[in-house]
Amino acid sequence: MNSKRSIQMLLAEDNASDADLILASLAKVGLAEVIHVVHDGVETLDFLFCRGEYADRLQEPSIRVIVLDVKLPKVDGFEVLRELKADARTRSIPVVMLTSSNIERDVARGYQLGVNSYLQKPIDFERFRETVRHLGLYWMTMNEPPPVWSRIGAGQ
Amino acid sequence: MVREPPKVLTSSGGETKGQGVALPVMVYPAQDSPLLDALMDGESVHQLLVDSRGDYAVFMLDSNGIVASWNKGAEQIKGYSRDEIVGRHFSVFYPAEDRTRGKPERELVIAARDGRFEDEGKRVRKDGSEFWANVVLSAVRDRTDALVGFVKVTRDLTEERAARERALTNAQALEAVNAELEAFTYSVSHDLRAPIRQIEGFSKILEEHLGKSLDPQVEHYLRRIQDGSQQMGRLVDDLLHLAQLGRQHAKPRLTSLDSLIDEVLTNLRAEIMERDVKCRVGALPTVVCDPGLMKVVFTNLVSNAVKYTRRREKAVIEIGHVVKDGEPVIYVRDNGVGFDMKYADKLFGVFQRLHRAEEFEGAGVGLATVSRIIRKHNGTIWAEAAPDQGATFFFTLGTAAPDETTHTG
Ligand SMILES: Nc1ncnc2c1ncn2[C@@H]1O[C@H](COP(=O)(O)OP(=O)(O)OP(=O)(O)O)[C@@H](O)[C@H]1O
Ligand SMILES: [Mg+2]
Repeated sequence: MNSKRSIQMLLAEDNASDADLILASLAKVGLAEVIHVVHDGVETLDFLFCRGEYADRLQEPSIRVIVLDVKLPKVDGFEVLRELKADARTRSIPVVMLTSSNIERDVARGYQLGVNSYLQKPIDFERFRETVRHLGLYWMTMNEPPPVWSRIGAGQ
Repeated sequence: MVREPPKVLTSSGGETKGQGVALPVMVYPAQDSPLLDALMDGESVHQLLVDSRGDYAVFMLDSNGIVASWNKGAEQIKGYSRDEIVGRHFSVFYPAEDRTRGKPERELVIAARDGRFEDEGKRVRKDGSEFWANVVLSAVRDRTDALVGFVKVTRDLTEERAARERALTNAQALEAVNAELEAFTYSVSHDLRAPIRQIEGFSKILEEHLGKSLDPQVEHYLRRIQDGSQQMGRLVDDLLHLAQLGRQHAKPRLTSLDSLIDEVLTNLRAEIMERDVKCRVGALPTVVCDPGLMKVVFTNLVSNAVKYTRRREKAVIEIGHVVKDGEPVIYVRDNGVGFDMKYADKLFGVFQRLHRAEEFEGAGVGLATVSRIIRKHNGTIWAEAAPDQGATFFFTLGTAAPDETTHTG
């Protein structure tokens, strides 16, 4: 959301309240400013491939994780996942799917499409906050990004 | 000429079976007049036997399938008068496609060979309309075992078939409605999760933002919002659970309840140890049940027992079984607050509670879940209690068929 620091997490979440709660949860651990929020599947893909309203965006190599809600308007989370795993420029960016469903079929589908992690949003806010913080800290600070990642910017 | 009265016998294959009827067959002395004649003349007896049954078309065919006699039932069902039909081939009763495929002739061959042929299918009335019929065709033989013809009994099943189909579609419709209802509950409870979390979340964040400077009244209201949303969250989760249960099929297998209850008590250890609750577990049988679901049953019953003995200094929970009518009856007994049996019919309803939330927290979903599971096992559940005298919950498991491939315990 902030242009001064490079974006490290792309959060695709159409529910504004949930997006707010996620940002609030991550603000406490100082990670909120490096998050960019997109609101549907098309915007997610436009952002990642620098198209449409993001045509001017430089393909940054800085994104360490994409957090994808399953139920996204226009193009759903699975479709977004499929497209970005099919493209060399985005394939190696870790993707975490966040969902309010634990329907087995969905989980299996996510993994088949190459998701790196699949998380159910806990209904209880405290646990939700914990989950989101762990997610943020793990993928943005602890996880070693793939080496390919540094070359993404050169792609295109 | 004096003719011996014909003897009425039952043809070889004429036993009553399904929609079929016992067929009287005339057997004439062999030395008598031409066979067809005999058949025709025997009609008086025949008439006696069959005219009383207007819902049956009963008529005779000669060995070539030519209609030789006709009764009132036949006239009613098929629409031909006796004069119109006698002397014509019986294939006129069949739909055109059956006729071209030689079905009528084939039936005669089978009936001649086996003594009897039974069929259910479409037949045609004089006016061309179709009806659904049960047909029994029986061969008639004389003493020398020569084929003299056939008796054909046709019953109009159109009404019956429609009723059968209605019953079937009703059952299917009911099942579909149930499935839809469960899917609806599932998706509703699902979609309710997000807003509940949001209410809870923002009220927490608000509280944190206001910090120490919080007006006690504001703090109180915020607490209320949080309590409400948390309670709603639990309700939704319980509903979700119940809906999932409805969609799930019991997978019964041979299960030792002894080891199952050990697991349940281990999981509930924290609750049990918190107070001085004594658990007495008697020998439990090995039964056919879905072990996962049975754990849910015991977990609910035992945690109720723990909860509703809270005011007892010495809480005692007893788990065991008795054999009644050769069937194990499993029980969970406690010496807690009990309840008035007047309200016993409410126990197993969803969201039905016999105690106030201030006294004992809960949603009233536990026993509804339990009774669903017991029902899935073809069992029954009931309770005995009195106010302040403790409560006992009994259940049986019916006779669920084991899934032979898997065994535990
Ligand atoms: N062992 C018991 N002793 C006395 N009352 C009981 C006992 N078990 C159940 N009840 C009564 O039956 C009601 C329904 O029980 P049920 O387990 O369905 O709901 P609950 O315990 O109130 O809530 P939860 O959904 O958390 O289980 C309870 O509210 C209580 O009034
Ligand atoms: Mg309960």
